[in-house]
Amino acid sequence: MQDTLNLDGGGSVFLGLSSTSIRVGDKVVVTPNFRDANKEDFLFNYVWNIDGNWEEGQWGSTVKELGHPVADGSWTFAPESPGRYCIIVDIEDQQGNLLGNVERWLIVAGQNSFMRPPVPPADAPTAVLADDVSMIFNIASEQFNSLKEYFIAAAKHELTFKEFRALDHISFEVKRGEAFGLVGTNGSGKSTMLKIIAGVLEPSAGKISVSGTIAPLIELGAGFDMELTAKENIYLNGALLGYRKDFIDEHFQDIVDFAELDGFMDMPLKNYSSGMVARIAFAIATVTEPDILIVDETLSVGDFLFQQKCERRIKELVESDNVTVLLVSHDISLVERICDRVCWIEKGHMRMLGETDEVCEAYRSLKR
Amino acid sequence: MASNTEPAEKDAALAAQEASAPATPVHTTSARDAWYPAGKRDLFILRELVTKDFKLKYRRSVLGVIWSVLNPLLMMIVMSLVFSFFLRYDNIEHYPLYLIVANITWQVFSDSTNAGMMSIIDAAPLLKKVRVKKFVFPVEKVLFSLVNFLFSLIAVFVVMLWEGVAPTPMMLLAPLCIILLMFFCVGLSLFLSALAVFFRDLVHLWSVLLMAWMYATPLFWPVSMIEQVPYAFVRTLMYVNPMYNFVTFMRDTVVYATMPPSSVVLSCVVWAAVSLALGYWVFRANERRFILFI
Repeated sequence: MQDTLNLDGGGSVFLGLSSTSIRVGDKVVVTPNFRDANKEDFLFNYVWNIDGNWEEGQWGSTVKELGHPVADGSWTFAPESPGRYCIIVDIEDQQGNLLGNVERWLIVAGQNSFMRPPVPPADAPTAVLADDVSMIFNIASEQFNSLKEYFIAAAKHELTFKEFRALDHISFEVKRGEAFGLVGTNGSGKSTMLKIIAGVLEPSAGKISVSGTIAPLIELGAGFDMELTAKENIYLNGALLGYRKDFIDEHFQDIVDFAELDGFMDMPLKNYSSGMVARIAFAIATVTEPDILIVDETLSVGDFLFQQKCERRIKELVESDNVTVLLVSHDISLVERICDRVCWIEKGHMRMLGETDEVCEAYRSLKR
Repeated sequence: MASNTEPAEKDAALAAQEASAPATPVHTTSARDAWYPAGKRDLFILRELVTKDFKLKYRRSVLGVIWSVLNPLLMMIVMSLVFSFFLRYDNIEHYPLYLIVANITWQVFSDSTNAGMMSIIDAAPLLKKVRVKKFVFPVEKVLFSLVNFLFSLIAVFVVMLWEGVAPTPMMLLAPLCIILLMFFCVGLSLFLSALAVFFRDLVHLWSVLLMAWMYATPLFWPVSMIEQVPYAFVRTLMYVNPMYNFVTFMRDTVVYATMPPSSVVLSCVVWAAVSLALGYWVFRANERRFILFI
């Protein structure tokens, strides 16, 4: 996968797409942009293919049928069916000798199906801004749980701390209405990042600014008291999220309906299964449109039907354009379905930041 | 034939379902007014937390909230029997009332500081995940002890009937004492909850301290005994003792229907202010680091 080709005679060509995510019926303008080279010196052959299989060489026939040799300028591509397209432009010299090709991925959604939000322009309003955020934990080499131990150690000058950098100079900007993914292996600092964004942790260095209301789904059941009934917990959790009382009164039935737990409302939460708790927590957090929804591995607890329902709800919120979604998941396909941009954090360092397909592709190749 | 119509029917049913779907109120999607403005949400949180504590305290007990009235009453009866017969304190006028007024005042103090001290540690799972103002937890414990106090006032009323003490206008000053006591407890709870995060030893130490403090305060023994303490230093300490002042304030207004001495009122005000200032300062200075220790 390469979107830039370095030419032998010096200079390079970069493939520009007017959009990387469209619906069936929309058009995409494909433009090869040259740097330090003359566009008129080349010929182009445009090829597209659905859902890969390039490696197996199953695309040969599409070249003949759908390839469009174009002398110059850009090419308008109007896909007829939904799917994941690879757009390839073969660059040839005037004699028709192949110099190489440049490729880009393009997601085409069905007419009514969910389409992940477009990558916003640079001047769109900011929802979350992480500016050079670092998080350092002092891990006490010994745990002092009593004054006596502490003072003895202090007197002996044995108070040593091991520094642990959970996040190291992370910077990114999430625009309003974006669906932003965070990926990374276990213990790489994703949840720490989310906690900083949620305002639970303060970064050791750097700044974070968040505009708007936050519905954090960092760990399900936070703020639930297992002894209280589900109904009482809905009010308690609603209060902690900052909801108005009359708002909860009004939307109580919506929450119950979404969680599909009618008839269990007067049961103490300790008798609930973890999946049922997850349903309630998700229903409360998404009953209205928060400005920022933080989803951290929450969907994995529920059964597959509820997971689908949650995904649908998240997509609804994304499509409303008002909600900024921050998603952490080990299910990369979920990230690919929902997010427009992804940040890959590995062992506290920012490994990659960019459009979903690019980052996920790279992350996948790490796993193998 | 049948196999041909079936899918068509299904499609029709699906189409009907889809058509009716938008009509059902699934979720409101344009509720800008769902949230309290940042400053106002704490009140609702406090209310919900007090409700939670209240429900949990009396859940699955047959008499429920009646225990809030019964408990101080029974305690008073036991203590008044013990101290009247064994220690001969029954020369105190209206001894049962003398006892119960001091006891419920002390109870507010010990309940709220005990629970307040643990409040941040107990709220750890929540504080790690949701952004909430941390001061609400110690403050909530003090408010909850106030709720219990209000119920136990019924017990005081019962004892007043029994003792034949008529209510007087002077009692209207008692709420002032309670408000000052609330401030005193809030300050101390903030202070203790912040310290307890860093040094758990305090939890064990505090119960011993409370016991010593209780015996040093004239709850069941006569106030006049302070004069008999041989050391002037200890006597001063006992008069300065904030709980002595709060208890005296309550007794003078409720039991004896007299204006408490101005030194007592002044002490209550000063203690409330000092405690609040200290608690606020220590809490604010350390609350950012709580998350790293809980």
